[in-house]
Amino acid sequence: MLLEVKNLVKEFGGVVANADISLEVEEGRIMGLIGPNGAGKTTLFNCIAGYYRPTRGKVFFNGEEITGWPAHRVAKIGIARTFQGMKTLPNLTVEENVMVGAFCQTSDRQVARRIANEIMELLNLRDEASALPTELPIAIQKRIELGRALATKPKLLMLDEIAAGLNPIETKEIIQTLKRIKEEKGLTLFLTEHIMEFIMSISEVITVMAAGRKIAEGPPELVAKEEKVIEAYLGERYAKGRSD
Amino acid sequence: MRQLLIDIFSFEDRPRYERIGFLIFIIIVIIFPWIVKSAYGRAVMIKFLLFALFGLGWNLIGGYGGQVDLGQAKNVGFGAYATGLMMLWWGVPFWITVPVGMIIAAAESFGVAYPMFRLKGHYFAIATLCVALVWKELFVFWDWTGGARGVEIPIRSTPDFIYMQFGSPIHYHYFIFFLFITQLLFMNWFRKSKLGYECQAVRDNEDVAASLGINVYRTKVIAYTITGGLGAVGGSFMTVYYLYIDPDFVMPLDLSILIAMTVMVGGAGSMWGPIIGSALLIPLDMYLGAWLGAKKRLGIDFMIYAVIMMVIAAREPKGIWGIIERVRKKRVG
Repeated sequence: MLLEVKNLVKEFGGVVANADISLEVEEGRIMGLIGPNGAGKTTLFNCIAGYYRPTRGKVFFNGEEITGWPAHRVAKIGIARTFQGMKTLPNLTVEENVMVGAFCQTSDRQVARRIANEIMELLNLRDEASALPTELPIAIQKRIELGRALATKPKLLMLDEIAAGLNPIETKEIIQTLKRIKEEKGLTLFLTEHIMEFIMSISEVITVMAAGRKIAEGPPELVAKEEKVIEAYLGERYAKGRSD
Repeated sequence: MRQLLIDIFSFEDRPRYERIGFLIFIIIVIIFPWIVKSAYGRAVMIKFLLFALFGLGWNLIGGYGGQVDLGQAKNVGFGAYATGLMMLWWGVPFWITVPVGMIIAAAESFGVAYPMFRLKGHYFAIATLCVALVWKELFVFWDWTGGARGVEIPIRSTPDFIYMQFGSPIHYHYFIFFLFITQLLFMNWFRKSKLGYECQAVRDNEDVAASLGINVYRTKVIAYTITGGLGAVGGSFMTVYYLYIDPDFVMPLDLSILIAMTVMVGGAGSMWGPIIGSALLIPLDMYLGAWLGAKKRLGIDFMIYAVIMMVIAAREPKGIWGIIERVRKKRVG
């Protein structure tokens, strides 16, 4: 198992953002994490990636316990992440953005530049190399963020709402891109989204969260039919009405 | 090794107009003392180069690192006093006192950085300001530093290159120019280095930096330590140039603020920002000093700086260099 989360609890004061979450991500798989707004998806990501320290529970990566490790250490052992919303490095060019990621594996600037160029080629960013990210459209900024994460040479790539703000065509494109780089780089993907269509069309396994709890898990077509999931998304009455 | 030399001396990655501008600037500085004969003009030029030197060092933490440090004067003081006291007590040559001053300043910076970087933003800036003021008071209070009376460097009968004492300002001009160029070349290497990019990533977004394997805290501590060492060099120069130092002269609050101001006005985080800012503010500062005379003590110069600072912060946070870049981009497309 590449990533294992065991009985993870995260509380903020009295608010329980993650209650007893356990999940496993198998190597080479695409795992989706869905749930309505406020379900605790990003909190779980932050606990795994070292931005929050879990209140209880454990996180294992490749068999090694990484619970409570600081974010930079988590990044070094092979977990890369992207952020919800746009988080580029605004004063660095696109090339430099990706290069900073590459410095995770090397101290040599020439090597870092070469890695950055390979990744920009892969993500079709060559033409924007010397532009500043904030001058570019959202879809391209998403690719920059993806490229920067890829440049750290991760085993596991965690994407927090990568399709948010994209139109249907751009969403389709990013699904194609993700599937392609996953094959080429031998990656494992773990992504969150609250848009059903996106997650359903890309994930092999789906975990559903609602109000801080895990409520379902399984292949997309089965999860989509589960009553608890429909309830979480559309409310109890809709679910009841359907089953009648 | 070869790559290192290229990284230090090459400006190839900069656009052509920048390289030409830099070359013109270098030529002007080199021929300056042969054109301007007035002692005042030459003194302004030396002070400009000194503050450009200070600015280059401050730019590392304040520009590339994005941490507003309002205590650089303490490092200037460490350099000045290391040179002054070692010369006075033991007659140590200038070129040995410089690295000693740098090491002292860097070590002190490393020590205080540790607790200080628990703070962020404005709180960090206030902490740096306080630390510098405490050091200044200590230097006034202590006897072994000469207290408020300061340190006077014995004047040598013959000019020499060991103690760096000369009769003519021309020598000092090329001397400070040399120090300035070495620091500029260091910064040229730094901005392309892994550490340079790490600093910039931390400045732009700490969460993103951490997600890329950068230890944010450690990066800030290292940047602050190096800035400390760089600040001491100009202090050492002040000792041999003015031949007299005291805490009010080499480590006051005005100095810390002026160093930070020159970089912010010129353009923090750009290679040329400190030079442009010093070229503008230092002549202005000397002009105000001459014009206001004793009234300068009332803080009228500070009021003028405050206005400049507010305009910069509100209209163009990237300083004059930001304006130049924007105009150029508009022209290109």
